[in-house]
Amino acid sequence: MKALFGSLSFRLALTYVALFAGSLLAVAGTFYLIAIRLPLQEARAEVEREAKTLQNIYIVDGRAALLTRLKARAKVHRQRKPFHAFISPEGLTVSANLRSWPRQPVEGWLRLEADDYLEGDEVDYEPLTLDHRFDDGARLLVGRDIEDISEVEEVLQSGSLAGLAVALVVGLLGGGLMSRAIGRRIETVSSTARQVMAGDLSQRVPTHGSGDDFDRLAETLNLMLARIEEAVEAVRRVSDSVAHELRTPLTRLRADLEDMVKATPEEREARLSAAIEEAARLDRIFEAVLRIARIEAGRHATSFIPVDLTTLLDDAIDYYRPAAEERGIAMSGSLESGLTLVADADLLFQATANLIDNAIKYLPAGGIINLTAAKSANMVVIELADDGPGIPAEHRARVTERFYRVPTTEDVAGIGLGLSFVAAVAALHCSTIHFEDAAPGLRVRWALPIA
Amino acid sequence: MQILLIEDDPRVADHVARGLREAGHIVDLVRGGREGLLRAAAEQFDAVVLDRMLPEVDGLKILQTIRATGDTTPVLILSALGDVDERIKGLRAGGDDYLPKPFALSELIARIEVLGRRGPAITETTQLTTADLHVDLLGRTVTRAGRRIDITAREFRILEYLMRNAGRVVTRSMLLQHVWDYAFDPQTNIIDQHVSRLRQKIDRDFPTQLIETVRGTGYVIRDRP
Repeated sequence: MKALFGSLSFRLALTYVALFAGSLLAVAGTFYLIAIRLPLQEARAEVEREAKTLQNIYIVDGRAALLTRLKARAKVHRQRKPFHAFISPEGLTVSANLRSWPRQPVEGWLRLEADDYLEGDEVDYEPLTLDHRFDDGARLLVGRDIEDISEVEEVLQSGSLAGLAVALVVGLLGGGLMSRAIGRRIETVSSTARQVMAGDLSQRVPTHGSGDDFDRLAETLNLMLARIEEAVEAVRRVSDSVAHELRTPLTRLRADLEDMVKATPEEREARLSAAIEEAARLDRIFEAVLRIARIEAGRHATSFIPVDLTTLLDDAIDYYRPAAEERGIAMSGSLESGLTLVADADLLFQATANLIDNAIKYLPAGGIINLTAAKSANMVVIELADDGPGIPAEHRARVTERFYRVPTTEDVAGIGLGLSFVAAVAALHCSTIHFEDAAPGLRVRWALPIA
Repeated sequence: MQILLIEDDPRVADHVARGLREAGHIVDLVRGGREGLLRAAAEQFDAVVLDRMLPEVDGLKILQTIRATGDTTPVLILSALGDVDERIKGLRAGGDDYLPKPFALSELIARIEVLGRRGPAITETTQLTTADLHVDLLGRTVTRAGRRIDITAREFRILEYLMRNAGRVVTRSMLLQHVWDYAFDPQTNIIDQHVSRLRQKIDRDFPTQLIETVRGTGYVIRDRP
């Protein structure tokens, strides 16, 4: 019971019942004023006026005049049927069309019963009557029928009561049902949430199919759960691959060190430098993973300053020119002058360096690399195109994953983090990077917003 | 040089101390932050190697305290925090150089030797000379044995840095830091290619080779007697 009263939907239903009852009473009140109170006042005023007139006639003109007047009055049927009773000082009913009245005179208003039979049918009358006793002991009751008003009054009374009762019953019953229905829907959400908390991230909130508010809430929650599951899955994949990628050099390092124990002095030298190289490689992987994680966490966003992109890209080309020439690769750049944007210069340089480095690594001798940068609307578009083997379509989407390497390129040195770094830097700069088929070769298209 | 080494990890400390001693320096090894602070304030060293994370006191606190007394002894900070932000924090606290862990011992020695003789290198020079090689920093010209040699702007900066540190080993990452103005992960073989092009222009047509490669470490330019 306490749970029922505590539930929001039940409290809402109760509020609703109260509001409904309130408005019902307001309507009834207005109706009472218009259909009962005002006509009743009119009737009273009329009866009072008539009574006064008739009393005066009796006092001034005597009994005969009164009786004549009463007779005449009884015949006239206007809106409300007139009633009267005149009792002489001796106690005799001299003239009356009222059926009954109190033995003793009554102060104030009387509502009497005056049922009549008209051609076999009973007709109800309820005269509103004023009772007056003259100084000589005579008594005069004057009234007018207000049965119509009484009927309306009765209907209003019973109607309001019935309305209130129905509202209460329907409201309580409806509220109870509603709170149960809503409670069940909420319970499905919370039971899903509990399962998710218990570690089953694949759980989803079931939808009703009606597209109502709860379905919309469930859809939003499910989208959120999907995002979280994806993120957790990505973290798990990363930690799995980090563990794997770090274990390999660690194993080699350990093997080198173990072999050293029983190696000949000449062998020992080679093993030693292999071990140092392996340690350095471990450090590089570790540092690269940490850097990507830091960039993804957005911790670099504070070092954004206006950067001269033209110079930066020119420096990158300049940095790689000897390496390209050594491998017989022609590198050219066509950079629009005066390109500036707000960015992290170090990260942008490193990302560009990674892209050029990749191109040089994967291109055969005689290859061509072309770096262009130009302003387009509110973007700066950097394009790096080569005529090398490119990235097969089925691998293009995955090359930015950590440690992912196109299977056919395993003989090229690398740890598979270069493009992950580029993707992280692109995301930090709210920009998009696309790997496209330059037929033949690869075209990397990086569109950076200027502001 | 007399070097104060403040490092709490005993294996790293012994390794570094031994390396520096083998390179011909006198090393005072201190394990704790407080003691390090006292020694640095009381004695005159040519350079200080300071671990960023020490058990009692934060290495940067020590550095700030030393600097607050007006001491300008060159300080190299060692740190497992390799982040760019951390590097900037360290340099801002008064560090002269910052080396993330893990590091190659040769890198540390090269850097500390360059730091230790920084004094005279800072004074304005317009001419640099090593043997018969002359560099005019104002006219930006290079001549060897009276013959004019054309090099690119980048090669000029590499040569200038080598010659300012003539006789001292300059590592690849030091070159990256001073010749390219971006802080980034060095593709070390690429630096080698830049140096080898410079060397071709400087040394190829002459009997004595001025630029030497120090295996596994970097380069040095020196006048051979």
